Amino acid sequence: MAKPPAPVETLIEQYGPHLKYTPEGGWQEESRHPADGLVKTHCCFCGQQCGIQLKVRGQKVIGFEPWEEFPFNRGMLCPKGVKRYMQNSHPDRLLGPLLRTSEGFSRAGWEEALDFTVRRLTEIQERYGKDAVAVYGGASLTTEKSYLLGKFARVALGTRHIDYNGRLCMVSAGHAYKAAFGVDRSLMPWSDIPKAQVLLVAGANIGECAPITTDYIWRCRDNGGKLIVIDPRFTPIVRNADLYLPVRPGTDLALLMGMLHVVLRDGLEDREFIAQHTVGFEAVAESVKPYDPRMAAEKTGVPPEAIERAARWFAEADRAIAMHARGIEHHSKGVENCQALINLCLATGNIGREGAGCTMITGQGNGQGGREHGQKCDQLPGQRSLQDPEARRHVAQVWGIHPDEIPQPGYTAVEIMEAIHRGEIKGLLSICFNPLVSLPDANFTREALEKIEFLAVIDFFLSETARYADVVLAGSLHEEEEGVGCTAEGRIVHINKAVDPPGDARTDSAIICDLAHRLGKGRYFPYSEPREIFEELREASRGGIADYYGVTYEKIDRQMGVFWPCPSLDHPGTPRLIEGGKSFHPDGKCRFIVTEWRESGDPVDEQYPVYLTTGRVVSQYLSGTQTRRIGGLVDIYPEPRVEIHPRLAEANGIVDGDWVTVTTRRSEITLQAAVVKTIRPDTVFIPYHWPEDRSANRLTHRTLDPHSKIPEFKVSACRLRKAQESA
Amino acid sequence: MKLFRPSGTDPLWRDEFSIFKAEERYVNRRQLTKFLTLTSLAMFTGNIWIAIRAWFHKDPVYPIRAVAGLEEIPVGGVKIFDYPAANHPCILVRTGPDSYAAYSQICTHLSCAVFYSRDQNRLECPCHEGYFSVHDGSVIQGPPPRPLARVVLERRGGELVATGMLQG
Amino acid sequence: MFGLEFYVDPSRCIGCQACLKACEECETHRGYSMINFDFIDRRETTATAAYVCWHCDDPTCAEVCPADAIKKGEDGVVHSSLKPRCIACSNCVMACPFGIPKMMVPEQQMMKCDMCYDRTSAGKRPMCATVCPSQALAYVTPEEIARRREKPANTFYFGKQQVTSKVYLMMPAGQESLSIDVLDYIWEG
Repeated sequence: MAKPPAPVETLIEQYGPHLKYTPEGGWQEESRHPADGLVKTHCCFCGQQCGIQLKVRGQKVIGFEPWEEFPFNRGMLCPKGVKRYMQNSHPDRLLGPLLRTSEGFSRAGWEEALDFTVRRLTEIQERYGKDAVAVYGGASLTTEKSYLLGKFARVALGTRHIDYNGRLCMVSAGHAYKAAFGVDRSLMPWSDIPKAQVLLVAGANIGECAPITTDYIWRCRDNGGKLIVIDPRFTPIVRNADLYLPVRPGTDLALLMGMLHVVLRDGLEDREFIAQHTVGFEAVAESVKPYDPRMAAEKTGVPPEAIERAARWFAEADRAIAMHARGIEHHSKGVENCQALINLCLATGNIGREGAGCTMITGQGNGQGGREHGQKCDQLPGQRSLQDPEARRHVAQVWGIHPDEIPQPGYTAVEIMEAIHRGEIKGLLSICFNPLVSLPDANFTREALEKIEFLAVIDFFLSETARYADVVLAGSLHEEEEGVGCTAEGRIVHINKAVDPPGDARTDSAIICDLAHRLGKGRYFPYSEPREIFEELREASRGGIADYYGVTYEKIDRQMGVFWPCPSLDHPGTPRLIEGGKSFHPDGKCRFIVTEWRESGDPVDEQYPVYLTTGRVVSQYLSGTQTRRIGGLVDIYPEPRVEIHPRLAEANGIVDGDWVTVTTRRSEITLQAAVVKTIRPDTVFIPYHWPEDRSANRLTHRTLDPHSKIPEFKVSACRLRKAQESA
Repeated sequence: MKLFRPSGTDPLWRDEFSIFKAEERYVNRRQLTKFLTLTSLAMFTGNIWIAIRAWFHKDPVYPIRAVAGLEEIPVGGVKIFDYPAANHPCILVRTGPDSYAAYSQICTHLSCAVFYSRDQNRLECPCHEGYFSVHDGSVIQGPPPRPLARVVLERRGGELVATGMLQG
Repeated sequence: MFGLEFYVDPSRCIGCQACLKACEECETHRGYSMINFDFIDRRETTATAAYVCWHCDDPTCAEVCPADAIKKGEDGVVHSSLKPRCIACSNCVMACPFGIPKMMVPEQQMMKCDMCYDRTSAGKRPMCATVCPSQALAYVTPEEIARRREKPANTFYFGKQQVTSKVYLMMPAGQESLSIDVLDYIWEG
């Protein structure tokens, strides 16, 4: 409970973020003392999971070398991948557990820290019940650790509240794809993209958020393909788009339904595909009848001719691919947006063929793997439902417990924070998550953290959330523990260990297993290395949708990754899903799902007349705990700016560089303006990677999509005011 | 890589200080050191070779050849003969009724042929006024650096026979 | 070298600056990034361009160097100035029509892109072209580049000076050279 134990400035001075600019020993050190070897692994940041080799000398990562043989990225990297090695040997690195004192944090031994953690968690559970304690996981953990955390929460702690930061990322797409196809994964490998004739990119700033995908898109255009981009901002890839639809924030659903309307109106649907492979078409066809181009144009601000052209291009192509990311998913209609896009693909027969299909661009490093094996509050390993009796039986048997001992579904990420705020949840164990920066309505999160009785954080740097912790357990970086991850394509890749955790820090799995032992459940956590966890994971996922049973580390190395499902050891993996139109549903059919319009959760009005949308920049990753500590990356984009169109700026008397206060119904922050023509004149944009008084999430709201529970980051209502110089 | 300037039209300084590494005549330290070392080595080896040759040099074997009869030439007269081989002219001088001397005719200065001067009773080289003693071949005056090689004579029967040569 | 050539296509650039960050990681000039990166006009557009040295066939920088410090090798790569000879006069910085050489004042030496010579001389690819996620900087075979719609050109006119380079600029098909001076386009009777 309570505020951080010392003023923020003091904690920053002691624990950072400090900027690291040069590699260990200086730039010339490596020429004098060359690396011992190269370790092939993957990037620790986004879901593209580029292959990369880390240069290692002794127990330090001193540089990187491109890995040109890995087929997905063929040596290519974005600046985060290039500089990621600098998080190793970082001055801010936590080298041992910290315990809160009255003046700050002090170093403690593992025995003391772990005992303290277990004692407090047990006390809270004994007093308030098992569900008074929650677990937060993250989508940058390896799949083994995601699986381990799910098992830990349910078997060791016995709580139903386990969820992860991927709740802020992939759940809308996940829910929509699960409903339509029975499976939550990209439907195709990226190698299909250059083979499409039309690419529809909806709500994805590929140039900044998935840079390596850019080359695939350019190659599609080299082959004569056409690019359609839907985005309120003119992002880098829009420069080469053949058609640009600058959709008003929050109105993607009208645009997509309008496109389907045009397809059906002009008889361009693929009747054979619809008849043979789908159900539910008639209801959807009925639902898009009112969405003629004119009506859609009025809702979206996109010209009717553009809607017509986009629809016709997509439908008339032999092969078309729709790709989407948070731009359409971070909405209270996020699931509907994805379903409307899927409906469009199903209606035009663009599913399950080479060069045709739809795919979500998973944002987080192991966002795919992390949403498959039980880290979600309603999920069991193998992408199975927590409420499915057959799944419960199978997993309980693998875990060695009775199916009834597996809890029922619990709260999602934002809901957990809301439960903490109202006092229902009193204790939290958090790993790989920085909710104070990542969750919407940051002031609300701060209040909740000030109220919570016990907070334990496993992390390698003292993140903004960890400043509120009672105990910080020093965990491991991506390069310090072996495991697997699953990329945006659905390719399972091997994360190799390069070095040991430094100082007294420990691997994350060792910490979790140790906690389980001290909770008296050690016999369920007998692992001494990640490989053993993976072996159990194979068994637990066997027969499920995300079937890993046929996957081994060696097979991954041999094949440069394995696409799941891979049900047996001699199965090569499944790069393309829904081939021949066969879905994972029992009846084998794909489902059209009816979507219904509703307004966003924070509507604009006279008080708050401007749309606010939030997003990312290429040089920073998520809450910036790692990337805000690397000097070369901070130099690219040092401080968040609010992007304002000149027309809107002029109306508010703002010029480029002015300090502007952006106010929403929750709070206000003051940032410098970037007056640019590359955004809609009724919208402003703020990247969210910074904390405290530069945090875009102080402004966002906690409206959740009712199905996926994803927050509506992409549309809020705000007003602008030119400020005096910022404090 | 010189694509735009036909060779031959360059001013000399361009040639000497070419910006194209391929055409540089720049000698670096390593090249110079290598050159010096190899050349020194060659010379050293050459000297060793010469020394070895000299060590193994055998004394020449001289033939025995009749030169002239005892009364063949008058007193103060000379006879030119080849000894020890055809390319080496020598001069025999009857210095008195019963004394004879023979020397190599090749002046030790620049190899002109020496002649006998009856008036001065000495061997003279016409090229540079070099004079040699007729008694022992030593240099009396002039540029010749060494005495004339002397032919060893023996009286056998009624003849004078050359049996060897003594270098000066 | 090794059958690979360097191609620059600013229309593909997405401004991620991976090239800038990777450049300083190569062995030849660790710690110094030699890429020239610009936002063309951020107010108007997200357009960006990243350039490496063009490694001209007849390099102006080498021509004007009073200390004979800049050399072009047999493989066509123009190197940073030779440290023992460079007098930091900045003649090359001013003379290069593309503005590539950088004068490193603390080191008193001109440094510039040398196509990651430690990598390219061994058959590897330069850092920037290896990491570029949009392949706006590409180091590939001519067959590979022929698949693109744009075509490579390496002839530039700066007024009366013609410059041809080892590095190719991708231009719309049919456009064989790039003229910078408007005088090249006007008609003067």
